[in-house]
Amino acid sequence: MSDSARASIFARIRYSGSGASAAEIAAAREALGRAPAANLPGSDLCSSFLANVLLNRGTVDVVGNRSEAVTAVGKYIYQHYRTHRLVAGNDPRLAAMPWRDAGVLPRFGELEAGEPVALSYARLGVAETGAVVTFTGKANPAANNLLPENHIVVIDVADLVPDMEMAWSRIAHAMTTEQRPRGINFIAGPSSTGDIEGKLVYGAHGPRHWHVILLGEVPQAALGEAQAIAAPAATTGELD
Amino acid sequence: MQQYSDTFLDNASAALADKDKAEVRDAMALFTPLVRNAAMDQFQHFEELRQHVKQVRQHSLDNLGHYLESYEQQAVRNGNQVHFATTGDELNSIVLDICQQHSARRIAKGKSMITEETGLNAFLERANLDVMETDLGEYIIQEAGETPSHIVGPALHKSAAEIRQLFLDRHDLGERELETTEDLVSEARQVLREHFLNAQVGIIGANALIAENGYSMLVTNEGNGDLCANLPPVLIICTSVDRILPRAEDATAMLRLLVRSATGQAQTCYTSFYSGPRREQDIDGPMETHIVLLDNRRSDILASDYREMLQCIRCGACLNHCPIFASVGGHAYGWVYPGPMGSVLTPLLTSLEQSQALPNACTSCGRCAEVCPADIPLPDLLRDLRHAEVEEKIAAPRWRQGLKIHAWLARQPRLYQLLTGMGIALLYLLGRKRGSFSKLPLASGWTSQRDFPSPQGRTFMQQYKAEHKHRE
Repeated sequence: MSDSARASIFARIRYSGSGASAAEIAAAREALGRAPAANLPGSDLCSSFLANVLLNRGTVDVVGNRSEAVTAVGKYIYQHYRTHRLVAGNDPRLAAMPWRDAGVLPRFGELEAGEPVALSYARLGVAETGAVVTFTGKANPAANNLLPENHIVVIDVADLVPDMEMAWSRIAHAMTTEQRPRGINFIAGPSSTGDIEGKLVYGAHGPRHWHVILLGEVPQAALGEAQAIAAPAATTGELD
Repeated sequence: MQQYSDTFLDNASAALADKDKAEVRDAMALFTPLVRNAAMDQFQHFEELRQHVKQVRQHSLDNLGHYLESYEQQAVRNGNQVHFATTGDELNSIVLDICQQHSARRIAKGKSMITEETGLNAFLERANLDVMETDLGEYIIQEAGETPSHIVGPALHKSAAEIRQLFLDRHDLGERELETTEDLVSEARQVLREHFLNAQVGIIGANALIAENGYSMLVTNEGNGDLCANLPPVLIICTSVDRILPRAEDATAMLRLLVRSATGQAQTCYTSFYSGPRREQDIDGPMETHIVLLDNRRSDILASDYREMLQCIRCGACLNHCPIFASVGGHAYGWVYPGPMGSVLTPLLTSLEQSQALPNACTSCGRCAEVCPADIPLPDLLRDLRHAEVEEKIAAPRWRQGLKIHAWLARQPRLYQLLTGMGIALLYLLGRKRGSFSKLPLASGWTSQRDFPSPQGRTFMQQYKAEHKHRE
């Protein structure tokens, strides 16, 4: 059934096609150029990214080094869950963190039922949308993004990109040295729904809280600027 | 999905008579354009981006054979099994075959308008499969035994009170309050989580298919589609052949318009790209992935004068801005796709005979075309469909006769001016006192809803001529 369906669908589509060669088609697409991106809200990548994370109803921490990152994680989970435990993917960057310094007890692997907090190390952060990008795999099983109550994401300043075009260019570059990831996830907020009367509610299926830790040389004024940008934002509704 | 577009007028009258529902629709019609407009104002490059996205969509459609083949090659390289379905029935059979090959009983489903179009759920249920919709809106209407009223927010026609009662009736969870919207969401989360973890097959749709790398893009706020894509051992992606875009960056460019147009956000909480099944070194993900590509007359639309309709990105902005949709709601349209985009698509995907009223459900106000992120000339396409109804003798004989007389008369300017002048003068004399008419012969469709203002005595042409003479 599928073979004849394939042939007939292709025949009908080709009948109304341009008949151009692959080279002509590639040139025509190239001539269309690239799309305009959203303006960055802040004065630099860090402040813009942080502002958009806040606008996406995330919370943020800014830390200078890995030791501070561990401390920030420890403080955050203790405040929210009175625990030192969390689940993290088998990401070498996470394994190399000085967890003992802050008394945090990570379990490396895939999140299991009843575990409330997962930690991911993002591959990229997109300033335009305030999204972090993770690849599925050992380093970050999909369940760790999707099933915890609380999702904590560490992102290096060096991995911030201005817009989604740059994000894809970095992803395409990564694919030249590693296998195509099974899943690429842009995450921009805790799981939400507006399906009941258009009223926005968090924790539809996945995380109710989303905490982003920006690690590296962040300009001193960036966090304050981001908070000022995000503070007066009007509440927007979501439908899906 | 069972179609009942042929009773549009009755559906609409019934909807208008239900005051509570009308209130819910009014609230949504006020709210949804506001969030979309605020997001576009803030974005600042709406027109530039929409022209870009339109050109990319047109380029993709002009070369669809090339891009579809390239997508198929990449998807197969990524480890997927790609299937083609000419009709909805074929898609349903392909999906059922896959489920049966795996002896699957439980299916977790993400939101997919394509599978609404093909009536997949009912088909699978007839084969005794347990299909659960996992998008909250879709879950609610599935539990209520209803169909979507909106392509983005399928349950927006229901009040929180109705949903509360529905959950109390349907969930065997004992005594509980369910007072707030948060309580309702939490309960659905609890019920659905169990289903995700035990489903043998996940079924989702796709917002775009990327020709250069074989990835499919999935856009959600809840993350339910991602759970369907990652947890069950088999994943089936059901979508249509027109979703193809050349490059990954084309998908994210479209995303900028899609999300702002749909919900007023800059980006949804989850935007995911899936390539295929788990690899050797992976520890999670489906063992097997299938992509089912539906045509269902889209290749006919591609070859027709309605080709621009295939640029549609399914954002729902035209629904939210349509005065008819706001008044009568999505169910009145009687099929999967309501509002202006549905009034074009439904006749093309089903038949003009069955959906004759839909192209007429338009005031030609033009708001849909103004906000359409794909720059589809919806009012023009609706007019062309009305024209086709007359040409193909689908419109009522009396209506066609009237149009014929009008067309003949409009080509005799002297006679036309004479007759309209007389008519206007007569109406002026009759209506002078009251200023309006509550009843008029041949115009009961107008006067049954509102008064017809009485004319001021002279036609435009009479006034124009007089003014012209005066100036000379």
